Order: sequence, then C-alpha cells, then structure tokens
Amino acid sequence: MAILDRTSTLLKEAPAQQRRSRARLSAGQVIIYIILIVGILYTLLPFLWMLGTSFKSSTEIVRMPPTLIPEKFTLSSYRTIFTDPSVPLARFYLNSIIVTFSIVAMVLFTSSLAGFVFAKYTFFGKNLWFTLILATMMIPFQVIMIPLYLVLVKLGITDSLLGLIVPGATSAFGIFLMRQFIESIPSELIDAARIDGASEFGIYWQVILPQMGAALATLGIFQFMGTWNDYLWPLIVITTTEKRTLPIMLTWYNSQHGSRFDLTMAASVLVILPIVVIYFFFQRWIVRGIALTGFK
Amino acid sequence: MATTLPRKGSLFRRQHIFAGTTVTPVMIYMMLFTLLPMLWGVLITFFRYSPTRAGGPFLGLGGGNPFVGIENYLDLFSNSPNGVLFRLSLKNTLIFSLVYVPLNLVVTLPLAVFIESVTQRAKSFFRTIYFLPTVTSAVAVSLVWGVIYNPTFGLLNLGLRALGLTGYAWLTDPQTTVLGIPLPMICVLITYLWSDMGYNLVIFMAGLQGIPDVYREAALVDGANAWQRFWYITLPLLRSTLTFVMVMTMLSAWQVFVLFFVLTNRGGPSNLTRVLVLHIYETAFRYQEMGLAATVAMVLFLIIMITTLLQLRLLRKDWEY
Repeated sequence: MAILDRTSTLLKEAPAQQRRSRARLSAGQVIIYIILIVGILYTLLPFLWMLGTSFKSSTEIVRMPPTLIPEKFTLSSYRTIFTDPSVPLARFYLNSIIVTFSIVAMVLFTSSLAGFVFAKYTFFGKNLWFTLILATMMIPFQVIMIPLYLVLVKLGITDSLLGLIVPGATSAFGIFLMRQFIESIPSELIDAARIDGASEFGIYWQVILPQMGAALATLGIFQFMGTWNDYLWPLIVITTTEKRTLPIMLTWYNSQHGSRFDLTMAASVLVILPIVVIYFFFQRWIVRGIALTGFK
Repeated sequence: MATTLPRKGSLFRRQHIFAGTTVTPVMIYMMLFTLLPMLWGVLITFFRYSPTRAGGPFLGLGGGNPFVGIENYLDLFSNSPNGVLFRLSLKNTLIFSLVYVPLNLVVTLPLAVFIESVTQRAKSFFRTIYFLPTVTSAVAVSLVWGVIYNPTFGLLNLGLRALGLTGYAWLTDPQTTVLGIPLPMICVLITYLWSDMGYNLVIFMAGLQGIPDVYREAALVDGANAWQRFWYITLPLLRSTLTFVMVMTMLSAWQVFVLFFVLTNRGGPSNLTRVLVLHIYETAFRYQEMGLAATVAMVLFLIIMITTLLQLRLLRKDWEY
C-alpha cells in the first residue's frame, strides 16, 4: 500500500537519469555483460524453441536426434490449424477479442468515473465505501471463484461470454489507481468548469478524462493482459467448444493432439503473438505501471 | 451565460446527487461480484454443499445439502481423502512458495543491479527482453516448457545427451529429488521463475533508480569497493522495496494455478505438485464438493490475509530519503 501511495506522482515522467558514459569496458563490466547475455539466452530460448518447432515438419519433430533449428522451414502446421474444421480458430479469436475489449472498456469507464468521484467529491458513506474497495483488493480471485460461479448460475449466464464479461466490469484496483491519479489534478480546473456552466458529468467527460491518458493507458494494458491470458475463469465457466477463449483452446488442442508438438507450438505462437506485438508497442507503459504499483 | 452563481445549497446538492448516482451503482455492482461471493463462500463452508444435489429453497442449502456445522473444517485434519489431499497440497504449496521467493530474489536483485550498471541503451534492451515472458499466456508457457522437458524430444535432454549424460523424465519422475524437492516441482519452479522474474526485475530497477546517487558517490570517495557499496549502501536503502517484493512474490506464488494444471498435468506425478489452488479447483469443479472446497479456500484466504497484514506492518518505514 505504501508503494501505491507514490503512484500519482510517479505516473508522470521519471526524471532522466544521469549516466556516466565510459569508452572502455572494465573487466567487471565484461563479466556483467556475460551474465546478462546468459540470462537473455535463458529468457529467449523457449521462445525460439517454440517458433522453431512450429516451423518444423511433422516428420522432423520425431526424428532423432532432434534439431534445434528446423532444417526445412514449413508452414504446414499453421496450415493444418487454419484448415482443421474441428478448430474454429477465428471463433476463438473473436471470443477472446469480445471478452477482452468489453472488460477493458467497462473497467476504464467505471474505474475513472468512480475514481473521479472518490477523489473530488464528499458524500455520505465515502470512507466506508472506500474501505470496502481496499478490502476487496485483498480478496484473491481463487478464494471467491466457487461462490462467484454460483452467482453466475443464479443469473443464468454460465457457459456464455456474458459469464466471462459480467463479473469483470469493475475493478477495485482500477478505482484505487484512478483515484490516486485524479487527486493530483487541481480542483481549480473543476471549479472553473463548474462556473462556466458544465454539468458534473460534463466535467468528468471533458475536463478529467482528457488529462488521464497515461493512467488510462496503464490500467487498460494491465486489464488487457490479464483478461486476454486468463485461463482459470473461462475454464470454470465455459463448457461449449464454440464459446472457448484462446487460452482454453490451447490446452484443449494439446490434449487432442498431445504428440503433435508442431501443432501445439504453432497454436501457442498464434495465441501469444497479439500480446507480444502489443507489448512491443506499449512496453513503456507496462514497465512504468509495474514499477509504480507493483501489481500485475 | 448566467451572471450570478447558483445558490450555494443547490450547487452542493447537484454535486451530491452526481456522486450518489454514479458511485452507488458501481459500488453495488462491485460488491455483488466480490463481497457477496465472499459471504456466500463463508456460508457454504458450514454445509455439505454440491450444486448437483437438490437442496432447499434458500441458495440450495438444506435438503440434499445438509448443514454440517464445522465438520468441513474438522475434515481438513481428519484422515478422509479430502483431509489427506488438503494437507499434501498445503505442504506442496509451502515448499513451492518458500523455495520460490528466495530463488526469485537471488536471481532478480543481482540482475537488476547489473542491468542498472550498463549504458542506457543496453539497459532498455535487456529490460525489454527480460520482461517479455511475463506478458506471455501461462498456458502457452506451460506448453512450451512441457515440450522442453519432454524426455525424448525435449531441448533439455537433447542438451544433456550432447554432454554424454542420460537425461531425466523431468515432469513424470516421482522418485528423483533435489535437496528433498521432487524433480517435477523443480521444473515448475524453473518455469515459474522464467515467466515471472520480469516483474521483480522492473520493481527493483525502479527502487534502485529511487536511491539518490550521492550516497554511493560518497562511499566511492571513501574508498568502498563495488561489493561494499552494494552491501552497505544500496541494500539497506532498498529495504522497503525488498519487503514489498518479497510479500508480493509470496502472495503470487500461493496463487499459481496454470503451471500445476497444465505443465504437471493436474498436480502429477502422484500428487507431488498438487497445490492448494489446484485442490480447490478439483474439489469444487471436478468432484462438485463445493462445501469442502470453499473451506479450503477459506484457509487459503486466511494465509493470504496474514501475509498481507504482515506486509502492511513491515512496510511502515521510519526514514526517508
């Protein structure tokens, strides 16, 4: 929590670090570089192995001794996945996209709105509500997943994308993060807008939101990664093949084709590709967000 | 444009109405999906509850799902199959988290210090690559590492055979242990470290950047070598970051599910990697004994609460720079 309090100030640009540049490398630095490069190998090797295997032919995979880099690059495993009628890959992608984008949009809206009100208004029960938010942040999902499933049963939305989306529309962490950020926006701006005749919602929409690019980007990317990669909740809620999301499709595919490493790896590449692309575009936000909040 | 301000009372009223109409629905909605399940979860720990049996009118409790008092809690200590599996899962979870936290810190803290010491451009390159696994879906991670650990076609045994060694059945060998830890558990530890170390690396790097250069420069002037500067200056000043990272890592280690579900195929071999979260999932959704499973979930909650409160206490710091 103490770290969280620094959030709002740290969300702004970190001061540029002054670094002494040295032309020559000392012996110590050479060792450091060697260690770092060994670490890079540990980090990258599984990705390369995944990519390599996905481009191997089905005969090359089972050949002894195994090859690290495919001797002959082939797209046959990708072709097999795309044309397999029992694997509606486009459907799985669509499901993941629907669920992720709905949740991200709703979390951004509810968190920024509630965060705004908590930061800039006084109202009855404010402290009680906020304490409840902090309390729910401490409840891990695994602890409430059973009764949460029972809530969905009561609502009649198990085995549907709705069942994945509905419980995720609000985020205690999101409200907390937004409140921290909005508190640093001067109240004079709000008062000025009010004198100019803006409605309260108008203030939120036209004064507060445009200032929150950094905070919204950070929260949005975290939520995106969390929902896109989520496995446990879809595993519980979804039973019909057509309603599966990508991570569920992966394990299902693996159990169907347990010995076909080429197919499993190609499917894995297809699932992680979107998130890796997003990571390379937005990594500044992700890395900064983690450094600020310490949350995943 | 109005020339006079609205009356004070009406202005505040308008604000009050706005606050009430926006926050109340959001809060009620959120409580419906967090606090209500929490209470419901506590309630069903006192029942032998399964949604497959016909129960009473109120939440399906009663009837086929009878009230059993604290029997579910006593069951955790009994010799019933659930009790035995629970204690085994608790033990495995403890082993996993207690080994993982120091393992993670021993790797990520020096790496963060090393990365901080290289040039700006190299630094962002290393950070980008090291963080890459953390954005990768845990299922994909499990599948890739499953292939790496494969005894016949896997990368690991391929390497060992090239060195003239025989290799292991990494994920399915119930006998081999390293320092008393079963080999499959070691595999999960290595894979989890791979997928998770980017987080702590980034947090440590931020913590290191937060330490003003003057302290280390003063030590440098006083003739301290690199190790002394790290041990006597950096490490003590990093204490709050270190505590935070330790607790967060511990909390996340308690909640790992996918690796134990996919990589070691539901806690195998012979339940050597069965952990609490997996035990909760299997009991609730495979065997549909939700009363028992909710009871285990409460134990998990208790442990996590204690860890969190401990963190709040440890993080109180009485100094500032």
